[in-house]
Amino acid sequence: MPVAHRKKRNAPPAEKRPRNAKFQADLAPAEERALRALKQELQLRSNTDFLIDAVALFRWAVSERRAGRQIISETKNGERRVLVLPRLERVAPELELPWVEIDWTESQLADLARLASAPEPPPPTPALIRAMQGLPR
Amino acid sequence: MIVRRLEEHDETAAFDCGDIPLNDFLKRHAWVNQEKISIGVTYVAVDELASRHIFGYFTLAAASAPYSTFPAKYVRGLPRYDLPLLLLARLAVDKSHAGRGIGQALVSEVFRIGLQVAEVVGCRGIITDAYRDRVGWYGKYGFQPIGEASEKIPQRMFLDLRTLRKTAL
Repeated sequence: MPVAHRKKRNAPPAEKRPRNAKFQADLAPAEERALRALKQELQLRSNTDFLIDAVALFRWAVSERRAGRQIISETKNGERRVLVLPRLERVAPELELPWVEIDWTESQLADLARLASAPEPPPPTPALIRAMQGLPR
Repeated sequence: MIVRRLEEHDETAAFDCGDIPLNDFLKRHAWVNQEKISIGVTYVAVDELASRHIFGYFTLAAASAPYSTFPAKYVRGLPRYDLPLLLLARLAVDKSHAGRGIGQALVSEVFRIGLQVAEVVGCRGIITDAYRDRVGWYGKYGFQPIGEASEKIPQRMFLDLRTLRKTAL
């Protein structure tokens, strides 16, 4: 007698598609107006598109601060403003070396600028290579 | 031997490199400068087994050279910002441990930290003010004299971080 193969009701599908997450946010009227204005300015149709872009921007900012880089805006005149966001500062590495001001002579600055602006740096010396490889003198 | 940050109970009093200002700095100022007023970090070479006895030390700080004062003919190849530098403020080896490669071990650590600083916050080179009789020693590692040469004042020297990177590849 043939055995009837019945499909199991609760068997999972062969390939499970990840479900999109849903977000709900309670915004104050002022924040909601700001959100609408930004969406309009950026020509974003949905809150989803807005959130995707905002997350991308935040991810970039976090990666920059985590690498120890500052986020700076600069005008054509060279005026600079540094973005300081307490939440971002939590991921910034501790800068352990204090900064000191040192005196320079004109000839020191001229030599430094000449060396630093050279297209190619001097090749490493044998002693430097040995030092970097941890080899004896 | 290991190289690590100076700690409060390290035996600085016995250190003698033959140079009174360098001895005095380690004994009187290094700890305060590092922990209290934060103007320099000192690293010491110590024995792993007798880890308070100091063989040698160096002190580092971050510094910069102002872009606005660079001669116009050299600024083309430079970014329009002050040049970030690592200042090797002091380096000394105890007389009783001279000739054992401790100077090289210390300067190797300076180079390693230089590469790390460049990676984390940006650094274009290492500078130091070398005593006249030590210019050749620093030159051996690729430091180049910058500015005027004078018998009366230390010689400022510069090592390009790009050169260091080439050795690290």
